[in-house]
Amino acid sequence: MLLFRSEEWIERWCKRNHLARGEVLSVAQVWELSKLWYHDHLAVDYHGRTVAQAEEIFKRAGLTSAFWYI
Amino acid sequence: MNNSLLWQVRAFVYKHFAETTYAPSIEDTGRHVNIKLEEAGTLYKELHKRHVFFLEPETLTIRMANPFSGIPTDFRVHANGKTYFANCAWDMLGIPIALKSDAVIEAVCTESNDTVQLEIKNGQITINPSNNVTLSDCEGSLPPKSETLRSQQPLPQSDMLLVHFPLPFARWYDDLLFT
Repeated sequence: MLLFRSEEWIERWCKRNHLARGEVLSVAQVWELSKLWYHDHLAVDYHGRTVAQAEEIFKRAGLTSAFWYI
Repeated sequence: MNNSLLWQVRAFVYKHFAETTYAPSIEDTGRHVNIKLEEAGTLYKELHKRHVFFLEPETLTIRMANPFSGIPTDFRVHANGKTYFANCAWDMLGIPIALKSDAVIEAVCTESNDTVQLEIKNGQITINPSNNVTLSDCEGSLPPKSETLRSQQPLPQSDMLLVHFPLPFARWYDDLLFT
């Protein structure tokens, strides 16, 4: 996941690399997602998470498009 | 497979990253968990297979234990007097969350090559508007103050700076380095 300063730069990068545009979130949105995703990563009892648990986090972060679900 | 040992290895790897900023060697891990190298290698491969962390191809060297990167990247996170490297724009935000720490992040924007600084303080994220920022909590690990941003354009706010996710969740582990 790469950082861009505007949509224009994303379009340029996608075009240059012959790639379709994926999903774009603001840094503020990714910050909120990170709180849900990474808050427990250093816990001794963290044993990974299932696809369903990951999808629940996306839902809680307000990410509802098909891009975030299997 | 001894699940208790498996998660002990995982916990040690993450603790090592948090404390030192880099991955432990397979020897470090074997010594810490008190197992032979061969068994440590088997556990590393199993954790790789389960996407808990990721090894360099055909090696027992940890490349990624998200959000931490085992190699230098364009995403530097200064926290707790240390400098960590994140794997990507999402992980650069994950490091201060995982460490439960304030942080200053230096990241390079793709294509435009602007370097931006973000500050995490008390759970709030801001983009530093200039180079002359006082960062008393991370001075030991900050870049020289004379270092300048590459762009003279005004920096966007955190709700404008963008992160591009190139692949849908279903394909993230097809090629994690690209993702």
